[in-house]
Amino acid sequence: MDLTLSDEQKMIVDMVRRFVREQIVPLEDKLDPDADELPPEDLQRLSKITQDMGLYGLDTPPEYGGPDIDLVTRALISFEMSQHRAGLYAPCYGAFGGARQAQLFEATEEQKEKYLYPMLRGEKKVFFGLSEPSGGSDPARAIQTRAVRDGDEWVINGSKLWISGADRADYGLVFARTDPSKGRGGVTCFIVETNWPGFHVRRVVHTLRSSRYATELQFENLRVPHANILGEEGGGFSIANDRLTRQRIPYAGECVGVAIKAHEMAVEYAKIRETFGAPLASRQGIQWMLVENEIDIRTARWLVLEAASKADNGEPFRTESAFAKLVAAEASFRVVDRSMQIHGALGVAKDLPLERWFREMRIRRIGEGPSEVQKHVIARDILGQSLR
Amino acid sequence: MKVLVPVKRVIDYNVKIRVKPDGSGVETQNVKMSMNPFDEISIEEAVRMKEKGVAEEVIAVSMGPQQCQETLRTALAMGADRGIHVKTDDVLEPLAVAKMLKAIAEKEQPQMIIVGKQAIDDDCNQTGQMTAALLGWSQATFASVIELGEGTAKVTREIDGGLETVDIKLPAVVTSDLRLNEPRYASLPNIMKAKKKPIEEMDPASLGVDTTPRVKTLKVSEPPKRQGGVKVESVQELVSKLVNEAKVI
Repeated sequence: MDLTLSDEQKMIVDMVRRFVREQIVPLEDKLDPDADELPPEDLQRLSKITQDMGLYGLDTPPEYGGPDIDLVTRALISFEMSQHRAGLYAPCYGAFGGARQAQLFEATEEQKEKYLYPMLRGEKKVFFGLSEPSGGSDPARAIQTRAVRDGDEWVINGSKLWISGADRADYGLVFARTDPSKGRGGVTCFIVETNWPGFHVRRVVHTLRSSRYATELQFENLRVPHANILGEEGGGFSIANDRLTRQRIPYAGECVGVAIKAHEMAVEYAKIRETFGAPLASRQGIQWMLVENEIDIRTARWLVLEAASKADNGEPFRTESAFAKLVAAEASFRVVDRSMQIHGALGVAKDLPLERWFREMRIRRIGEGPSEVQKHVIARDILGQSLR
Repeated sequence: MKVLVPVKRVIDYNVKIRVKPDGSGVETQNVKMSMNPFDEISIEEAVRMKEKGVAEEVIAVSMGPQQCQETLRTALAMGADRGIHVKTDDVLEPLAVAKMLKAIAEKEQPQMIIVGKQAIDDDCNQTGQMTAALLGWSQATFASVIELGEGTAKVTREIDGGLETVDIKLPAVVTSDLRLNEPRYASLPNIMKAKKKPIEEMDPASLGVDTTPRVKTLKVSEPPKRQGGVKVESVQELVSKLVNEAKVI
């Protein structure tokens, strides 16, 4: 497999690297170390630059105005755009635009007008409501939220947990059980507006990620028009599977980007920090840590690019994307951990971004499918689909 | 009018420079290279002239090894129309570069050559001036504003005492200073277009230029490490140290 970068890819990587270095990092010096948003005027100014670059709306398909780039290039960009303090969960603070809820691209024309386009224009915020107190990784079984049909409407009762941004969203996707007799096939996806009666943000759940909290939602006789079903009734899990698998690749790439930056800091620091009369870099113990960082980064980077390349070639890439997500999150966590260790007390200080990366990278091993679920996907590939 | 812009491939400004152990130069193996930042400013200025309709064509020139084509592609992605690559693995000194620029200028007949005031690798600050002298053209160095007139240009120069404005006749060589503009980022559509823009290849011999260096590098070494400061007890002691040790007064 040849993953030599084309001249164009090199230039795109260069352009994004410079953008981060010249526009994002200097701004970050003045922000709170946990900030994950920019003042609106800064975001507007930076979005104008990314629009001029032709890279605004990175995850928006070209037919909706996004840039026409393949997934390998998208992965290369993700390695670069995360190389700053907030880079893991807020790469470039959203200056490249966002298209978070891939499922909405599968909406009907009417739904697109009402819900997709305002989201793409950045006018409306959208949440994703899948996980419940009973679990998130096996939603087909765990979903207990019920939707019962009543004429032209559905009545939803139940709760959701670990939902990001629902308190600030205008609408979102809620997965609810419409047929209790069926497992996977009994779950339907609804577009729900947050100001409808019966929609409650019950509490805010603080997590390791101090910049952002999750929420717990409660639905009490929440009435949703039948027209707000996204996709088919009972087809909640078959919407946008391909898009969701693709999304996992930049997600993994962002982990690798942070690892690259943390490692770069560790290498620099090991060379200048002296203990007992010699630089840290002269100690074999430190050298091996740096070598292990390098192995982790190279492995993860390769797996991410391999998954992206398979997807670009139209080959199945579900297993590859599971490998990419699994290895990128686990390896990058180790890299950040070692880099922190090399920095000593400075590593845990808020003066440097390492402590934030450490906390947020820990979540990456759980979010977007925990490592164990990725292994489950891979095991199924090795042992056959019938595996339970 | 045509605008010619030389672009040099240099070690990226973000890289920490390391001297080779044998003192023959600086480490360039596996080191990130980019376009000289002052040359980016020159390209930006030329592209803006084109966007305003006062320039018809922007030609980027780079001299050096094969990889200079990457630098040229970057210039093309920023908006230059075509590239000229003088391919050579020789060490190029400012005089040789100026002679080759003269030969290219005689062939291309540009009305203006915008040269970065210096390159961040050797910091010579000579190429622009030498080119102007060899061509017998007017020159305005360290430009922070360029306003084009009819066959003339009004250039604001950054000089030690402040700003100086000069009127020059075209054709001219102008060297760009830091505050001339803020170069844009390349854009995805232009990166894609850059692939199709032509790059003409030539070599120093075809331009009739002998590039043999006239300067011999004896040794390259790191600047001496900074010594720690000393706290003085009194003004007398300070003055005595300045006179006897630092020998500055």
